Amino acid sequence: MASLLGIWLGITFGTAFVTGLVSHFMQHPPGGFSWPSRPVWFYRFAQGLHVTSGLVSVPLLLAKLWTVYPRLWEWPPVRGVAHAAERISIIPLIAGSIFQLATGIANIAQWYPFRFFFTVTHYWVAWITIGALLVHIAAKITIVRANVGQGRAARAHLTDRISQPEPAGDGLSRRGFGLAVGAAAGVVTVTTAGQFVPGLGDTVLLAPRTPDVGPQGLPVNRTALAAGVVVIARDRGYQLDVVGPRPFSLSLDELYAQSLVTVRLPITCVEGWAADATWTGVRLADLLDRAGVPAHAAVRVESLERRGGYRTSVVHPPHARDPKTLVATRLGGAVLALDHGYPARLIAPNRPGVLQTKWVHRVVMV
Amino acid sequence: MTGSRPTDRPQGADTSDPPDLVDRHDPARPRAVARVVTAVRAVVAAAGLAVAGYGIAGLVTHPRATHPAHTLRWLLGGLLGHDVIVAPAAAVLGVLLSRIVAHPYRAVIQAASFVSASVALASFPLWSGRVGHPANPSVDPLPYGRNLLVVLGAIWSVAAAVMLRRAVRARRSTDRPGRSPR
Repeated sequence: MASLLGIWLGITFGTAFVTGLVSHFMQHPPGGFSWPSRPVWFYRFAQGLHVTSGLVSVPLLLAKLWTVYPRLWEWPPVRGVAHAAERISIIPLIAGSIFQLATGIANIAQWYPFRFFFTVTHYWVAWITIGALLVHIAAKITIVRANVGQGRAARAHLTDRISQPEPAGDGLSRRGFGLAVGAAAGVVTVTTAGQFVPGLGDTVLLAPRTPDVGPQGLPVNRTALAAGVVVIARDRGYQLDVVGPRPFSLSLDELYAQSLVTVRLPITCVEGWAADATWTGVRLADLLDRAGVPAHAAVRVESLERRGGYRTSVVHPPHARDPKTLVATRLGGAVLALDHGYPARLIAPNRPGVLQTKWVHRVVMV
Repeated sequence: MTGSRPTDRPQGADTSDPPDLVDRHDPARPRAVARVVTAVRAVVAAAGLAVAGYGIAGLVTHPRATHPAHTLRWLLGGLLGHDVIVAPAAAVLGVLLSRIVAHPYRAVIQAASFVSASVALASFPLWSGRVGHPANPSVDPLPYGRNLLVVLGAIWSVAAAVMLRRAVRARRSTDRPGRSPR
């Protein structure tokens, strides 16, 4: 039982770690590397998978911890150096696992009962947890091999921890417990996955977002009020500056008059929700061509926000030159709501929502 | 959830595996395999220590974001909270349940309780009234308390249906003595 649960937890934690790294390196690409802008759905899939594998890990981790809990009180507590090392390696594994699930669940609900900054701390504790998991796998692989898979009887001599015949009892059998864990994982998935799976928005019961709830039928993460741009974004003297070898500016009226391209793209949030929308605006590539920005150059998109970690974002050539990447001024045919980035925002395929900069007023060649 | 049947065999106690499985192989092979496995285990353990060390280094070299002492308190708090409070409480509840609920229904109640606890835990911030963003109604927009009750209602309806089926079977089997009421 413990071996099977361990395998499943290894899969969900491994998935969460890999998809978490994808999201991290999309936001902080290592030097010289840039992500492709296609397929459009890739980030939505990866981040939805990240949050879902974390949520599904809740019943798996509970089941695993409760299955092995009696071993916490085994006697004698330590039988030699190897045994002590193995037991100590469990501490960061369990502490890290509980920490990652608890902070992740809090963060997607935007509940912050802790003082540390979520993304950075969740990232580093992920490395600690996965490292401890690797040590644990190395320590336990013999037991798993002796208890799971075809031909396990031939490997039974490798360990003294062999699953014993089920004791007669009236409570939940092992098979019943396995079914309960699977059912719990299923219920958690079915009641939350609609927040990122296209077309399933109506099935969301226990997820923090519903894809069609928000201004203009689209969720918002950071409001204009929170960003401190309510007054400046409404200024009629707004202009969009495009800075390259041939810099130019567009007035508000010119920008809206030139907004002729319509695309359908999702907002894909790092918190695991995604919502499709129809955007109208000016192709970023067209603006860059007009300013004489060479095709291999990255550009920085700047918001009217005064401060904040997401005030600007860098758009690398694959995204900057993608014909679907817009400086958008309309959403669903109507002028962009203030909370969605009026007067103009970036919208690009396969890009984390926090990098879809809102209230854009400058595009600068890097 | 059909409960266990006499044919259910726990992992590893599967006596249907052919007993000659080891003998069919070259006797030298298991030893070679064992050596490879040991080497791989050592490499994986070393890699794990390096990865965890990288994480610890990252945590302590970004103190303005991670507040290492505060993070450590949360790490240990989660561990102790589970081992000292949650797990013993779950065990006590389990024992109480087994005293109150009789045999063919006990497993169903245990399973439904586990599913309920998992679902409630995974959505805890939402239904416990700890969130609420008046300035941004698109965050946590649903009536989560009601929704949790709907989901729990569905879980316990399934559990009730299974128990009903077991009750019917138990009655039938008392008509035919000698059969287990499962």
